[in-house]
This record gives sequence, C-alpha cells and structure tokens, in this order.
Amino acid sequence: MGKAALIAWREIRWEIFGDRGAILRTGFFAILPIIFVLSNRGVPGGRASELSILTFALQSALIPALSGVALIASTFTQEKENGTLVPLLASPVRDMDIVIGKLMGMVGPVMVICTGSLAVYYVLGSLLFGAARMGPALPPQILFSILVVAFLYLITAGSWVMIVAAIVHTTRAGQQIAGLMIGLSAAIFALLGIAASQIADGWPLVGLGVAFVALDVVALEIARRVWQRAEVIARL
Amino acid sequence: MIDVRDVSRSFGRLVALDHVSFRVEPGEIVALLGPNGAGKTTASRIIAGILAPSQGDVLVDGISVTTDPGSVRVRCGMVTDQPSLYERMTLRAYLTFFCHLYDVAAADRRTEELARLLGLSDRLEVRLGAFSRGMKQKVAIARGLVHDPPVLLLDEPATALDPETARSLRAFIVSLRARHRAILLCTHDLDEAQRIADRVVVLYRGRVVREGLTLDLRADIHPHFIVAFSGDAASARDALARAGVAAQPAEAENGYNALRFDADEPGTTNPAVLRALLDSGVRVVTLAREERSLEDAYFAIVDEAQRPESRNVDG
Repeated sequence: MGKAALIAWREIRWEIFGDRGAILRTGFFAILPIIFVLSNRGVPGGRASELSILTFALQSALIPALSGVALIASTFTQEKENGTLVPLLASPVRDMDIVIGKLMGMVGPVMVICTGSLAVYYVLGSLLFGAARMGPALPPQILFSILVVAFLYLITAGSWVMIVAAIVHTTRAGQQIAGLMIGLSAAIFALLGIAASQIADGWPLVGLGVAFVALDVVALEIARRVWQRAEVIARL
Repeated sequence: MIDVRDVSRSFGRLVALDHVSFRVEPGEIVALLGPNGAGKTTASRIIAGILAPSQGDVLVDGISVTTDPGSVRVRCGMVTDQPSLYERMTLRAYLTFFCHLYDVAAADRRTEELARLLGLSDRLEVRLGAFSRGMKQKVAIARGLVHDPPVLLLDEPATALDPETARSLRAFIVSLRARHRAILLCTHDLDEAQRIADRVVVLYRGRVVREGLTLDLRADIHPHFIVAFSGDAASARDALARAGVAAQPAEAENGYNALRFDADEPGTTNPAVLRALLDSGVRVVTLAREERSLEDAYFAIVDEAQRPESRNVDG
C-alpha cells in the first residue's frame, strides 16, 4: 500500500496541482451546484421541500464528482500516450499498486471537493431555505450516505473509464469516452431526482448505493485484468 | 548477467521472437541489432520482467523472469528510446520518486549523486518540461540508475541527441562497463555499436541470425582489397580483367589511382593481381585489405537473412 500511496501523492501534487487546466475544470464542476441552489430560492414547504433539499444535496456532491471521471481518463491515457507508463511498469511495483495509486490520486482530491461542495450547499441552504428545514431534511447520516454514494460513483465510473483507457491509444479518445460517461451520469442523476419524488424515504439513495457496489465489483475486476503489466505492455 | 534461453513471444498470430538465445556477461556491452520489427524492444521488455515470454526463460543475475519478475525488475535499469518523463515534476522530485519506488535508502543523497554524475546538479529544482532533449535523455538514464542495477537495458539511448551529447553518453556507458555492469544496447546506430559494443547479436524477424564479437563479425564478411598505384587506371583495370579479377575504381590519396577487388582466396588472387599490374607497366604503391565497418557486416548479414533459401533452410 506504501507504493500506491506514493503514486497517489505524485498524481495529486504534480498532475492535479501542477495542471491549471485540471484545476479550472474541477472548479467549474464545483461551482455548478452552488448556482443551482442560488437559482432555487423558492423551495415549497412540506414533504416536497424535503425532497428538493435532498436532491440538491445529492447534486452538490455528485456533480463535482463528474470532474473526477475526466481526470481519471486523462491520467491513464496520458501515461500511455507519453510513454511514461513503461518506466513505471519497469519498476518493482505491483500492478494493483499502480491502478489503486492512480485511482486514489484522482479520487482523493475530487472527494475533498465533493465534501466541500456539500458543506457549502448546507450553509447556503440554511441561509436561503432556513436552518429549521435543512436540519430534518439532511441529518448527519444522510449527509454521510451522500458522500459514500459520491465515492462509490467515482470508483464505478473511474473503473469503467480505466477499462476503456486501457484499450484506446490517445488522450483525446479517452476524453471522449469520459465525456460520454459524464453525460450518461448526468442523465442518471436527473432521473434520480424524479425517482426521489416518487419513492418515499431514502430508498433511491440505498438503491443507488447497492447498484454502485455491484458495478464496482465487476468494473474493478475487469480493470485489474486489463491493467496487468504484461497486458498493458503488449498493447503499447 | 543476462541469460536469454530459447525465448519465443507471440502477439496473436505475430511471432515477435522465435527461439532466441544469447548471453550478456558482467562488464560486457552487447549490441542487439536488427531492422524495425526484428524484436529488439520485445526482447528488452522480456528481459526487464515487464513482458512474459510465451516460451523459454531469461535469467537475470540467476533469477528467472517467469517465476520472479518482481526481483528481476529490481536488478534491471531500463532506458527507453524516448525519455518519457513526468514533465511537470522537478528533477529532484522525479528522481526522488523513482528512488522511493525502488526502495533506495537515502533517496535525497542518491538523487544529488546522480545529478552530479550526469552534470545536472544546477537543474535539480527545474521542471523537466523545460529541459532540452539531451538533458531529458540524461534524466532517463539517471532514472534507470537510481537503484544502481547490475543489468542495464538501453533501447536507442542516443536517439535525437546532438553529436556532443551522444559522445558523452557513449563515454558514460563505457564507464558503466568498467564498473562490471552487464549492458544490452538495442540500437539502429551501427556506428555507436561499433564504437562501444564488445559483442553483437543480430535479430531478423524475431530470430538470431548472427552473434559474435564485433571485431569477428567485421572480419567475417567477404574480404575486399584495395590496390593503390601510379599509372593509367584504365589499362590497370584491363590488365586485372585479363587476369580474371573484376575491379572497381576506389578512392585514393596523394594523387594515386586505386582499384577495389574481392578476393575469397587472397593467397592466390593477390599475387596474380600484383603480377598483372606490374606487367601492365603501372607502379604499385600499396595493396591492403579494406577495413570493413560493422555497418558493412550488418548489411551483409541482413542481406543473407533476407534471401529466400536462407529462410527456407532456417525455417
């Protein structure tokens, strides 16, 4: 795990904080949910209000997570395109450490942004909708569940993007696939809002979490196979 | 030490390596030559423990790449034809990162030592993206040496370097040989191979078509002789033709004329040439065997390998 952490730290320090483009893209996704909240001051009272507040909270955590998909796609395809993957694979690091290190290097900072975005939403929501409405609608366990769902989403989407990145040859192709994944995810999040308005309690959240876990297991296993050292080198 | 034992590797239906065997001893530089697609890079990747052979095995320092590729990677330093650096990192951060990947104790000290060795001490805090091509290649070499490996795999290390940097790189590789490193040099640069390689392995379509000492390979090819003389070149050539020796004009110095001819049996041909020339009235100045380069030897070997009958016999 030590070398995975080393690879993750390098990604964060040099590839995210060293790339203004990445910071700007991530910043754009982080600002979007705040704009949604500010443009929805008139949340009605009663149960509909609680659902709206919950949906906004989900969007606040999941929309910034979309930026992570593009980051994960670029980290793998750029390594292939620039040839930097060969020295990494030639070092005495386990295949899994490379995959986990790179994944965590992208997921870590994005999760910090998701958490920050959710916190900003909570403060803004308390000011705009009233603390008395926010508290019951978003108890700590729901806030925690939302962050877990965001994390699971990142791992699921990231793993599928990694699988594609193992096959495509250019950063551009990787980014196109990431774009498709982001579009699909945005559509799913919109449907989630509709589902939340139809189904009582937190069942959509639970359903989403279970679906993500199932997809994670499948995607990570495929990603592990396609990113095996010999497989990757054979495709370079 | 590298011991490649009957290694084959296929990618689908493409056979990249076909029963390849050769050795590289400590303190030896072996040049792996061959046209594009001959299997040089595949061979070096298998030796480095990052690509599994389909058949056969490679022992690096006595450790098998098929059973313990992780330990093989610890013993190999690999330099690729492209520097392939993380260009947003500074030199210090980059080398320290690889020191940690290879579990090098005192990573900071090793980083500074390597930077000093390659003349990059004043660039430690500079981002790699700002380096020239030659400096980037030096960094790639430093990366391959962070763990002071006993085996070095150099894949076209001097690609796109200016002559001065290429020369200093060659001197550096030779200095590593003096430190008993086993060095495999995959290259298209035959001049570079001739200057520094002790032995040569020629690959063609995934098979070893010739292996031997660099000097022996150069000596083995069809011998050419050059005779320099003063007198009429046309009549000298006619005289040789009458003696049954086909000669071609060659470059000569000091105002003399020169002719080049083949001699499979110099003991018989050369006296006949001298006699014919003296009889024709020209004054012979020198008769010498032409120095053949590794390039001449390489093309002769590849030409032979390309002949259909050669392939049929081999296959």
